[in-house]
Amino acid sequence: MKIDTMIRHFREAYRGVRRNAWMSFAAISAVAVTLFIFGIFLVFAFNIRYMTHELDKQVAIRASLVPQLTPQQQDELLKNIKALPKVKEAKLVPKEQGLKIMKEAWGEDGEEFFAGLEGDKNPFPDVIEVQPKDPQQTEELAKELDNFPNGIERVDYGEAVTDRLLNFSGWVRNVVLIFGLGLATLAAFLISNTIKLTIIARRQEIEIMRLVGASNWFIRWPFFIEGAFIGVVGAIVPTTLVLVLYQAALTSLGAGEQYAILKLMPMLSLGINVSLSIFALGAAIGMLGSMISVRRFLKI
Amino acid sequence: MIEMHDVWKVYDNGVEALRGINVKIDRGEFVYIVGPSGAGKSTFIKLMYREEKPTHGVVLINGVNVKRVRDWKIPHVRRKIGVVFQDFKLLNMTAYDNVAFALEAIETPRRKIRPRVEEVLELVGLSDRMFAYPSQLSGGEQQRVAIARAIVNNPSFLIADEPTGNLDPENSWDIMYLLEEINKRGTTIVMATHNKEIVNTLRQRVIAIEQGIIVRDEEGGEYGYED
Ligand SMILES: Nc1ncnc2c1ncn2[C@@H]1O[C@H](COP(=O)(O)OP(=O)(O)OP(=O)(O)O)[C@@H](O)[C@H]1O
Ligand SMILES: [Mg+2]
Repeated sequence: MKIDTMIRHFREAYRGVRRNAWMSFAAISAVAVTLFIFGIFLVFAFNIRYMTHELDKQVAIRASLVPQLTPQQQDELLKNIKALPKVKEAKLVPKEQGLKIMKEAWGEDGEEFFAGLEGDKNPFPDVIEVQPKDPQQTEELAKELDNFPNGIERVDYGEAVTDRLLNFSGWVRNVVLIFGLGLATLAAFLISNTIKLTIIARRQEIEIMRLVGASNWFIRWPFFIEGAFIGVVGAIVPTTLVLVLYQAALTSLGAGEQYAILKLMPMLSLGINVSLSIFALGAAIGMLGSMISVRRFLKI
Repeated sequence: MIEMHDVWKVYDNGVEALRGINVKIDRGEFVYIVGPSGAGKSTFIKLMYREEKPTHGVVLINGVNVKRVRDWKIPHVRRKIGVVFQDFKLLNMTAYDNVAFALEAIETPRRKIRPRVEEVLELVGLSDRMFAYPSQLSGGEQQRVAIARAIVNNPSFLIADEPTGNLDPENSWDIMYLLEEINKRGTTIVMATHNKEIVNTLRQRVIAIEQGIIVRDEEGGEYGYED
């Protein structure tokens, strides 16, 4: 496409937005609300993926033991595990220690929070932590442990933890996605409506363009640009808002960095990923809106 | 060259506007299309610039079958054909901009637009009214802007549907002299008209259509109706 032509298309698109200022504003607002919700969702999605990766890096297998085991039986089990060829290291973490670690992790409030859980009431299981020689073999090794004749109640490793993380987020994700898609459709229709107004306002120009032999795309482009423009402008506020909120979340959660599970994605990489996604989504919604109108109302 | 072979046009409502048209219009000709109201003249014109497709038969523009042309190529067919209407169809911008609009729409390089627009506006005699809006121009002047827009791209054909229909006799004659001039420069002209005086004075080939059929086709013929 020639530069002159492109400049012209942008100018025409801008004229269209100006002419339907109020409709455009309504459409931009609808896009903004939609993209804000998508933005929040994206923050969670990107973080869950990030955490998954982080967890995968520090995989250790945690084998929870059945409560009835005697100390001798536990030692026997530990010895057997250590004897496995895939095992690099294995150590017993008694439930008292598990409680202690938890208390420390919660800081000052920990003592109060977990008070009265010592001794028989301790809800934590005794655990054998196993480090595989090769992280690639984590899954296989976990299965092997799970199939141990007796003594082991359950086996957790990085993958399982993240699986549960993802499972938990599954229904939230579906609700947000369905809600978001509904909103996106609504926004696309609002955009298509403003484009329709532009097409109607321009019907004489369009007729003349056809008559003198303007190519179909020459006639269509300004409407697509107008839709994309509305989508992209609608992305500005939600992007800013989401990033500001995320920065605030990072700052206020900074104190809790010791929980590995809450290790959030750093601002820079999240910012780039989320902004690009929101802007692309905005443009896509805009183009979709234009497409609806161009197909229905622009007879070429 | 425009050719039609056994062309039928049946509108969606079942009206048979054209019923077996056979015609051949050569390069450089000037042709009047005459006939009673509702005879099918406008339909004939619309088939030529591919506003309507023939229901049956073949329309050839410079040897190209317009029915077979892919949708995205139709604009290129239209660039060979300028069209003028009874109601001018000017946009609410200056005479200059109306003409330039046609060149911009086909992506003419910018530096070529101004000289060409000024040239055609001079040809139609509007050099001094270039920056007037349609509302500031007389009917005759508006039609001249429309003609300038139709020929600015040097089309092979200029097709006009009652170009003098909205004009008083004096302005009508001015428009006719202009069309004659354009024809002399090599553009083929096809013009549907109800103007008896013009057809009988500026003698050209006359094609008479009645109820969708060509009933007469003679070089230098008369108008032949009493309205
Ligand atoms: N778009 C359309 N849909 C249905 N019928 C149409 C359409 N256009 C024209 N017709 C019908 O086709 C017939 C021919 O119409 P057309 O406009 O070609 O006549 P015409 O010779 O140009 O008449 P006039 O001299 O009044 O302009 C008429 O009966 C008209 O009602
Ligand atoms: Mg007519």
